[in-house]
Amino acid sequence: MTAPAIEVTDLTVAYGEKPVLWDVDLEVPQGTLMAIVGPNGAGKTTLIRAVLGMVKPAAGQALVYGKPYEEQRRRVAYVPQRGSVDWDFPTNVLDVVLMGRYGRLGWVRRPGAEDRAAAHEALEQVGMSELAGRQISQLSGGQQQRVFLARALVQHADVYFMDEPFQGVDATTERAIVELLRELRTRGKTVVAVHHDLQTVEEYFDRVTLLNVRRIASGPVGEVFTEENLRLTYGGRAAVFGRNGA
Amino acid sequence: MLDLFDDYTLRTVALGSAALGITSGALGTFAVLRRQSLLGDAISHAALPGVAIAFLLTGSKAPLVLVAGAALAGFAGTLLVMGVTRTTRIKYDSALGIVLSVFFGFGLVLLTFIQRRPDASQAGLDRFLFGQAAGLLQRDLVTMAVLGGIALAAMLLVWKELKLLAFDPDYGASLGFPMRALDVLLTSLLVIAIVIGLQTVGVVLMAAMVIAPAAAARQWTDRLGFAVALAAAFGALAGVAGSVLSSEAERLPTGPTIVLCATAIVIVSLLAAGRRGLLWRELRGRRDRRRLRVAAVLADLIALEQQHPDAHRGHSAAVLSVMSGGALPSLQVLERRGYVRRLGEDEWVLTETGRAEAER
Repeated sequence: MTAPAIEVTDLTVAYGEKPVLWDVDLEVPQGTLMAIVGPNGAGKTTLIRAVLGMVKPAAGQALVYGKPYEEQRRRVAYVPQRGSVDWDFPTNVLDVVLMGRYGRLGWVRRPGAEDRAAAHEALEQVGMSELAGRQISQLSGGQQQRVFLARALVQHADVYFMDEPFQGVDATTERAIVELLRELRTRGKTVVAVHHDLQTVEEYFDRVTLLNVRRIASGPVGEVFTEENLRLTYGGRAAVFGRNGA
Repeated sequence: MLDLFDDYTLRTVALGSAALGITSGALGTFAVLRRQSLLGDAISHAALPGVAIAFLLTGSKAPLVLVAGAALAGFAGTLLVMGVTRTTRIKYDSALGIVLSVFFGFGLVLLTFIQRRPDASQAGLDRFLFGQAAGLLQRDLVTMAVLGGIALAAMLLVWKELKLLAFDPDYGASLGFPMRALDVLLTSLLVIAIVIGLQTVGVVLMAAMVIAPAAAARQWTDRLGFAVALAAAFGALAGVAGSVLSSEAERLPTGPTIVLCATAIVIVSLLAAGRRGLLWRELRGRRDRRRLRVAAVLADLIALEQQHPDAHRGHSAAVLSVMSGGALPSLQVLERRGYVRRLGEDEWVLTETGRAEAER
């Protein structure tokens, strides 16, 4: 069998003395859509940041296609939370999307015609071609999210890590993102997304990891997305969450 | 001002101030966008003991020696801020404040100590407090221009990496760029921009040259490249204007004069700049409000007409004012457009065109 897209073993991350992730194992097969769910402070974002080498783990390792992330950077794209940047920054949509090409450009070289073509193509994929010249301060929340997705798409990666891609977006954008995820899967890409809306997990994703500092369960949605596991993940509030979403 | 091109001293002063304004304006834009405006203040205050120590160790007042001392101390101060923030529970702003005041205080002590020494060679170091452009010499100018040129060239070289650092450092890290090293690089460039201005503007007010041109430029443009270029131009303008003014007058400290010029640019920009400008925003707001009021009065008139069986009865402005406030000016506008007719002293009624317009 081929190597899984992501293979995390014994990953432990601590800020000071407090463990944020404890002995987490995770396996994401190629060509699947994996949701990571769990309450606030469960370490979902930290898990992504640790795999991407932005946080130094106290123990454990993460492999991308069987190799450390540093050797596989080109095959991995990251979509941070949209609230993590200042959208009043003086730049436009195309310019932000072009940042996705910086990795392959390397130091000093500036984006060229080929990069711009890739950026326009990615904008088209997320339904934003008309807004290429728009100031980023004039985007709606959903448009901001789509710009971030387009920026990851121009990396032409194989694995996409997305931190809450559905957070605070409008219905149109939500549908566009779902379609995009499915298209990525069709092309054999792998997506790992932090997700908050428990109601849509089964509809949008193939696999789910329930996380609360420790890994509670991980596997195909049909098998592990159970009332029992949700209760273990969210504590007593599980019943409420199961019905109404987060 | 005519002297500018003949007077040798004045030309030196103007060129030096332009060099410092361009460098600090351009690099200040990145600092402001990263919300690190006050870092400039900490760096410049922290540089003072460096100037004093460099002089004490070498006995030289050569610009390169003093600037090197200032840069080392400014850089040490910055590293201390980063270290304190990372290893203790003290927050960034407090760390800035602590480093700024401790270094500055130490610098003042050293300066006093130097001035009490019997030999005469120490005179003039105190110009680093408030700046003295008149004292600029050809050799100062060369030092400033070379250092500023190096800083700007480095900025242009790693332009896209700096943009990434300013906009989304986490994403930059995921692409494999060493963001912490870039942070140190940008800070070093900022240190250079600041130390070359110290002699002219002084440590106390140098931060204004980092912040003011960038803040003014941000008002006029939504492109990073334009913002940096414009901030450089504003910085140069403020630098030249301020230092020329202060060297014309006897004993007028250059720093405060330059800062006042920069402030004037900021105020004009805040008021007059395109879409972000307060003045245009106010005018646009008024126009929109007036338009809305006129439309509201028209709508009220038709509503009144539909309530009353005798369609062509007039209504007073007072009645309409109750409905949408301050109706009289709006009625006069409508009258000029031929939408309403005045019947009596204060009796208004819709015309045919007005009725058609209101129903539309």
